[in-house]
Amino acid sequence: MPGLAIDARELSKRFGERPAVEALSFQVEEGEVFGLLGPNGAGKTTTVRMLTGLLRPSSGDARVLGHDVRTGAERLRREVGLLTEQPGLYDRLTGEENLRFFIKLNELDEAAAWARARRYLERFGLGGREREPAGSYSKGMRQKLAIVRAIVHEPKAIFLDEPTSGLDPEAARTVRDAVAELASEGRTIILCSHNLPEVERLCSRVGVVKGRLLAVSTVRALRRSGAAVAVRVEGEAAPLVEAVKALPFSPGALADGEVLTVTLERDSDVPEVIAALVRAGARIHSAVPAERPLEEVYLDLVRGEGGGEGGEG
Amino acid sequence: MAIGGIHVRRVWAVLWKELIDLRKNRGLLVSLLALPAVLVTVPIGTVFAYANNPEDPSLRTMALFYDPNLPLKASAALFLIDKALVDWFGMFLVMPIFVPILISSQAVAGEKERRTIEPLLASPVTALELVVGKSLASLVPAVAISWLAFAAFCVGVDAVSWRFLKVALMPTPMWLFGVGVIAPLFAFFGNGIAVVISARVAEARLAQQISGMCVLPVVGMVGLQIAGVLRAGTEYYAVQGAVVLVLDALLLFAAVKLFDRERLISRWT
Repeated sequence: MPGLAIDARELSKRFGERPAVEALSFQVEEGEVFGLLGPNGAGKTTTVRMLTGLLRPSSGDARVLGHDVRTGAERLRREVGLLTEQPGLYDRLTGEENLRFFIKLNELDEAAAWARARRYLERFGLGGREREPAGSYSKGMRQKLAIVRAIVHEPKAIFLDEPTSGLDPEAARTVRDAVAELASEGRTIILCSHNLPEVERLCSRVGVVKGRLLAVSTVRALRRSGAAVAVRVEGEAAPLVEAVKALPFSPGALADGEVLTVTLERDSDVPEVIAALVRAGARIHSAVPAERPLEEVYLDLVRGEGGGEGGEG
Repeated sequence: MAIGGIHVRRVWAVLWKELIDLRKNRGLLVSLLALPAVLVTVPIGTVFAYANNPEDPSLRTMALFYDPNLPLKASAALFLIDKALVDWFGMFLVMPIFVPILISSQAVAGEKERRTIEPLLASPVTALELVVGKSLASLVPAVAISWLAFAAFCVGVDAVSWRFLKVALMPTPMWLFGVGVIAPLFAFFGNGIAVVISARVAEARLAQQISGMCVLPVVGMVGLQIAGVLRAGTEYYAVQGAVVLVLDALLLFAAVKLFDRERLISRWT
């Protein structure tokens, strides 16, 4: 049974009087890919900085890979990798020099670490480009080089802050594939992202943050939070949208061909929806529970700031 | 290997990176070489002017301004050359101050500008190791450039003076003491100023401009020497060195305080 890679309890950070994050409590298991979602300024980066030993928490505790983030920060930084939102490369230095610098800073066996770095460079399509100045790299190449830099010391946990931000679709896909590959090696990955499909694809669980933790759950459990039902009708479903929306409990309704997806506050409202559709003349073929798009769940959470902690699923 | 909690390999890594970055920064290299070129050629030109025509009566008039008791038998040209060489050391000190300012501003505020500070601080390197590594990366070139410039200065002055006066004037004990002891102290001062200023401003260029103002008192004192108000010599420069040593200690303390990881991350990113 895997142990805990991250155990955060009531973690808070204030900058002067301004609270950045308050009372975050969550756990991440070893080998898990955990997504941290939240709007800009929600405290994702602050959370990552506390968990990587860059910022001291104002209150609360966290252990990452067994190290207390307050007292074991230096040892912690040896064992985690961080990909910052900006690649932060030295443009005049070559790709190789950028990597060798971090190999030296980590006091690694330089020959072995460089051999490992070269393997990663090959794998990420940067092989043969390592002697070129990093300033001449494309945005995607810079991001991939930054990923190699973040993992060259073989960290057990990797924190990725917006790894595909600003990349073209092809480069973003390469980076996503690289993250998936790292995950397949059994490393713990914490992925901060606005890209919900990316999070959905890569992460087993997500935490939604907006100053505080709004929900922690599996992606699937989150998508099932709140009731939703997919009703297949005969013919086009679009004319039925208004009939559903007119119900007193104001359900959401989205038509797509013959399927009408209705989102509700409570499961107990489903019979009322079916009755309203029948009254509107619909011929119903099936009605099955539907998962809501993650985007919709996420927006509901951050707009309402409600929800509390979702069930761990 | 760790000395007093400082990991030498990590300091070496910072120094290694900074020196590579410096080597590839052609604009900065040109700036670094321009100042020594001026500070070496100007006094050689002055010595040439005096030595070329030592019997010029106007030289005696000038010499008597500085020393009304100058004996009639004494060479006014040699007196003025000697005074120029002594006074010029004050101006020469601008070099060991200014070179580290140019380098350290790039090395410290440059991290902020290029947004490279966060990955750097996410590594195991400590703030103190960063300060030491980056300071060495500016002090070593600054002292090396000062010493090379001094060597070129000696060769140039002696070539000129030998040709006309058949004497080798350099190096003097005062210059050897000054370049060997005082100049490194001033380099440390320039670096300290640049590190402290760079930690508080957003851009390397602004850090250079503000830090560069610390050479003004030095230039002002040289002005007072040339005006005959201050009389320079070994003791005079030794006192300057002692004052700068105290300032160096204060700047080191301030630099380490300002390089707190938390402060850098929350202010610089």
